Amino acid sequence: MKKYFGKPILLMFIIVSLVIAKEPDKCFECHQSLGDKPSELFSRDVHFQKGISCAGCHGGNAHAEEMEQAMDTNAGFLGVPKGDAISETCAKCHSSEEMLSKYQSQLPHNQLEMLETSVHGKMATSGKEHIVQCVTCHHSHGIVSVKNATSPVYPLNVVQTCTKCHANAAYMKTYNPSLAVDQLEKYRTSIHGEKNATGDANVAECASCHGSHDIQNANDVRSRVYPTNLPQTCATCHSNSQYMKEYNIPTNQFSEFAKSIHGVALLQKKDFGAPACNDCHGNHGATPPGISSISKVCGSCHALNAELFSESPHKKAYDERNFPECETCHGNHGVVDATDKLLGVSEGAVCIQCHQHDKFPKGYETAKTFRSIIDSLEIVSKAAIQLVNEAEQKGMEISEAKFKLRDAQQARMESRTMIHSFNKEKFLEVTKKGFEVAEFVRSEASLAVDEFYYRRWGLGISTFIITIVAVSLFFYIRRIETKQQTHNTSST
Amino acid sequence: MKTVLKNIYSWIDERVHLEDVVHFMGKKYVPVHSHTIWYYFGGVSLFLFIIQVITGILLLLYYKSGEELAFESIQFIMSKVQFGWLIRSVHSWAANLFILAAFIHMFSVYFGKAYRKPREITWLSGMLMLFLALAFGFSGYLLPWNELAFFATKVGTDIAGVVPVIGEPLLVFMRGGEDVTGATLTRLFGFHVAVFPGIFTVLLAIHLLLVQRQGMSEPLEYAVEKNTVRKTMPFFPNFILRDLLLWLIVVNILAILAVFFPWELGKKADAFAPAPAGIKPEWYFLFMFQTLKYIPAQIWFVDGEVLGILLFGLAGLLWMLVPFWDKKSSRGERNRWVNYFGLFAVMYIIIFTIIGWLV
Repeated sequence: MKKYFGKPILLMFIIVSLVIAKEPDKCFECHQSLGDKPSELFSRDVHFQKGISCAGCHGGNAHAEEMEQAMDTNAGFLGVPKGDAISETCAKCHSSEEMLSKYQSQLPHNQLEMLETSVHGKMATSGKEHIVQCVTCHHSHGIVSVKNATSPVYPLNVVQTCTKCHANAAYMKTYNPSLAVDQLEKYRTSIHGEKNATGDANVAECASCHGSHDIQNANDVRSRVYPTNLPQTCATCHSNSQYMKEYNIPTNQFSEFAKSIHGVALLQKKDFGAPACNDCHGNHGATPPGISSISKVCGSCHALNAELFSESPHKKAYDERNFPECETCHGNHGVVDATDKLLGVSEGAVCIQCHQHDKFPKGYETAKTFRSIIDSLEIVSKAAIQLVNEAEQKGMEISEAKFKLRDAQQARMESRTMIHSFNKEKFLEVTKKGFEVAEFVRSEASLAVDEFYYRRWGLGISTFIITIVAVSLFFYIRRIETKQQTHNTSST
Repeated sequence: MKTVLKNIYSWIDERVHLEDVVHFMGKKYVPVHSHTIWYYFGGVSLFLFIIQVITGILLLLYYKSGEELAFESIQFIMSKVQFGWLIRSVHSWAANLFILAAFIHMFSVYFGKAYRKPREITWLSGMLMLFLALAFGFSGYLLPWNELAFFATKVGTDIAGVVPVIGEPLLVFMRGGEDVTGATLTRLFGFHVAVFPGIFTVLLAIHLLLVQRQGMSEPLEYAVEKNTVRKTMPFFPNFILRDLLLWLIVVNILAILAVFFPWELGKKADAFAPAPAGIKPEWYFLFMFQTLKYIPAQIWFVDGEVLGILLFGLAGLLWMLVPFWDKKSSRGERNRWVNYFGLFAVMYIIIFTIIGWLV
């Protein structure tokens, strides 16, 4: 039915609106003379300025002289819409491409549709309406353009609008008890929040990251702040060199991150254990970590490395020189896979950046020794793995040695971690364990390979002996049977 | 040396009259004809059984039954025990060759109509030993407590559980409970090393005694031709030495198989792990397993699986009782239907085993 009558009704609505626009709006005149709040607000409303009457939303006859006629339900008077009827009233025009183009509006016509499929489109606890209606954020009679500084959804105001509900613990617990209600407080401590408070409408506010009509739960894969989507969301502003020009900060963070060990893990391998931007920088309380805190950020995941570093002689040296801790060797956004190549004094190593032979010979030698030991450990481990594989391919039972390989691998990992202590004794202690395990595995695997050849030789010799016995037996049988035949022939 | 041996022989002979046995063996002859080769498969089966007993006892020195010990003990046998790998591989390979040799022996007896009067008891004892050999295989398969064995036993006992009336109690009896657990392992281990060998030894003694007492059966066509001169060979030493020659060849085959294709151990069984893809029983159960897969779930008003099991049971019973319904052969007459039935069974087993292997 709706399909057949929708368009004629819409057309009628347009005609009525046009007629109303040309004639004096009696509803507004009357209410203004009464000096009521709605009419006062409506006089500044974008809809009023575009010639839309009170009857556009409330229905009735805007040209009737008498109130009874104007507000006659037979004339289509609706009164004050309640619940979902509010958004449906807005959608009569805002979901209609024809109506929006008639008023030269560039607004998308699917806002209600997006709202209904968003996290706010769920049913309220009353069960009678959706959680959020259009007026919840945009207000009702004093609606102005989003670009207007007085709009509740203007970038400088939107945080207050969102926190009307989101900072209300009593209200929020009825929907999501685990959701924090201190986002605004944290936001104000961030660089985004600080700049927003000083009137910078270009910095990120709630809607910049979460979206507006289409906000999804952060755990929803469609959400702009879902871990795998978040770097791209941040990059919308932070990779835009034009947009970021006045802030004088680099715009290559996303491209660097996407190539980094973290970025590849998160964006390509979908490994949610890998950090997104907010895991290091925070989210609502976003603030670039300073030199004093960066080790704490990295250390929240790489705990042991951070602990060893803080006890190492490097800690003091870095602090004195104002060097960022982890970042000095590993970089920040473009952090690469920490292979053994980073260690030592050869090409591609980071130690040599400070420990040149002529300036710091002791550090130079230590770095060189570390690298040489870790290389040796890798060589013996690889040799052990190769032998285990060879023995396994030969069908030998080598599961115990194979299991022990994990210990060798573990020792290698531990030794790489122990480098952060920059303590030779501690490092040698760990690597010694690795060398011992690798040697055990190698010798077990080697024995298995030898055993394989021993079996082949054993088989060859025993088969040969058995065959000789079998052939001899064959000839022996022939001999006795020939004898028997001769005996039988002679006896007959 | 010769005098010492002679003295020992005389000492025993004086007490148990060995002379009679030697005289009996010296007078015993084996028919020689174009099918004589099939006679050797009885001996090969016996030899492989002896290997099973010896290697089984050696494995028992190190094998530990139990959910937490079985797999590890086999792992120990294969990697640490001197020649443990060889003993275990030979035991596994000889088990399969034993069943193969027993099948060949059984079919040669069937097609030669050697089951006919007066050898009905020999046939029956042989058939029972064949069933026991399959039971040996089934129970032994689980003992390493690896993934494949665990799930194959689960499937195998599930099938047994479908048998009407006795199925459910049989399943609980075989598993030692509702599921395949450590209790199943202990139970099957007990059967594998004590119950089955005990019964098998009694049946084997009866079987061998009857073979010696009644001699080798001749094929029907030779037996009915009364006037022809029959070729024979002395059982001792000719037949025994030929047997020995074949056994040496079997030993060589076993050694090659054990060294070039050592029996794998696989992964340890985990009751909570999903069943690996392509779970199949041992090859000698494959034709039955494959048939049950092809039977529709419901045939008329009977459950397809139940019908399949009942049909196999009936066919097995009919096969075992062949000396009692094939009266023609006993009278010395040819019975083509027995041959057709036998050929069908052989073809069926071969085709379905191949399909089961490939699918």
